[in-house]
Amino acid sequence: MRPRPAPPHPLWLRPVAAAGERGLQVWSATAGVGRLSWQILRRLLPPRMDARELLRNLYTVGVKSFPIILVTALFVGAIMVIQAGLYVQQYGAEGLLGWGAGFATLREVSPLLIALMFNGRVGAKNTAELGTMKVTEQIDALRALAIDPIDYLVMPRFIAMVFMMSLLVVVGDATALIGGAFTSQLLLGVDMRIFFQSLIDYVALEDFTLGVYKAATFGVAIGITSCHFGLAVSGGAVGVGKAVNNAVVAGAISIFLLNYLVTYLIP
Amino acid sequence: MNATPATTPRRIALGRRPVAALGALCGAVGQPLVLAGSVAADIARVATLCGIYLIRGPRRWREVLYQCLRMGNHSVVFVIWVAASLGMTLVYQSGLQAQRIIGDLSLLGPLYLQLLLREFGPTITALMVATRVGTGIAAEIGSMQVTEQIDALRMSGAHPVAYLIVPRLLAGVLTMLCLTCVSVLVSWVAGLITAQVAFGVSPYTFASLSFIIYGDLILMLLKATAYGLAIPIVAGASGLAAHGGSEGVGWATTQSVVACSLVVLFLDFILSGFGYLFLLR
Repeated sequence: MRPRPAPPHPLWLRPVAAAGERGLQVWSATAGVGRLSWQILRRLLPPRMDARELLRNLYTVGVKSFPIILVTALFVGAIMVIQAGLYVQQYGAEGLLGWGAGFATLREVSPLLIALMFNGRVGAKNTAELGTMKVTEQIDALRALAIDPIDYLVMPRFIAMVFMMSLLVVVGDATALIGGAFTSQLLLGVDMRIFFQSLIDYVALEDFTLGVYKAATFGVAIGITSCHFGLAVSGGAVGVGKAVNNAVVAGAISIFLLNYLVTYLIP
Repeated sequence: MNATPATTPRRIALGRRPVAALGALCGAVGQPLVLAGSVAADIARVATLCGIYLIRGPRRWREVLYQCLRMGNHSVVFVIWVAASLGMTLVYQSGLQAQRIIGDLSLLGPLYLQLLLREFGPTITALMVATRVGTGIAAEIGSMQVTEQIDALRMSGAHPVAYLIVPRLLAGVLTMLCLTCVSVLVSWVAGLITAQVAFGVSPYTFASLSFIIYGDLILMLLKATAYGLAIPIVAGASGLAAHGGSEGVGWATTQSVVACSLVVLFLDFILSGFGYLFLLR
């Protein structure tokens, strides 16, 4: 691309120009994500993808991010118990500790924070991978071999992310509750059995399933945004770095938006 | 780029399968541990150097201000968006629950503000800054490292930590303090509007400051300062550890998001425990 001369805008117009440019970028990203979602949806019925690729992606997406998710979940459980413990101590209601911490963890904090970690670990890596393939023209090479890049590259990643995100949240919930139980025993001096008893008494199955629904939605969002930003890279290694940054931000934005929508729509 | 699964040599796979399985297990457990150890050592080294150069290094306030401007400009819209949607979700969620169990929503506002100050305001802001600014720092310093600009800096007598990371660290603290205040304010207003629209709680009832003590504010500022110190150090350490071309930069960037977020959660745990034991009794 030829270097453009400096824009001839007068000083007072520059903020307008910058805002317009930013708006166009946001619009093109939204449109691209929408287009990719449609393409993925069309390939889901009937599902067609490369089974061997799918297995490989399930391994790299799920098994490789297992330790990080476990550590995150441990901290999440501990932090939520400390926060709930402040109120429990104020009112002397030790029997409600498990309810307060467990409810918030299962419904809200654990899916959200695990999704943010997943976005940083898996989403960013996926964008970097696809972006490197794009700038080294490997994706064009696939097209030249009459292999559809969406069938071969995007679909297995998308399915793996949605599936593994839901599974990882189940494991993460369990780990967070165990971390919370240990924190309540060691730091707050509330017996673990009281913690688990109030968890069993007050937390309903819907709280857990809402968390899993949320996780699956977050998986969809992370999969689509990271693949879109990876495939839309242009401009060499610098472009890949920028795309990774944008993908992570777009992933986080859509995670928070979907979090609100799912909370609102599923009572 | 793709880490291939560890394969056991074909020779021993048949006769000594338990041994091979044990080896694979040790590898699977040990590899992340070794990686985490080396990253932690990097972070500790950069943090020590930062401490030394903060005390007896050159002060470059102009550069600090420039970094503040960049970090703030890059993340303020993002932080506002996230804070607003988080505020709406939390108030809606806890309002539903309070309506069902207690039936009284007059405590919703004060308790929400308290939780926002103690926990969600600083931590969620820090996680967002870690994704937005942390990746930027890691990508920038990482690409300087792989294009040997860091070596050039060393040759001209400027230590990369003093020249690149210390200004970002000071800027990070200032920016995190400002962004945390903005995000708490935005979440609170979003929660106030949600409570009014969804549950009909009057803004005057919601906007009560009766539960807030100085400990809450101190804990919030303490957390924001700690995160502002930690994010540039961790991201800078990941950037300096980059090697091997553009793939190395990608690796450093990914690595920095994860390391920054984990460090933020870890500090949150430590500081919440500290607040529980000493500040908020």
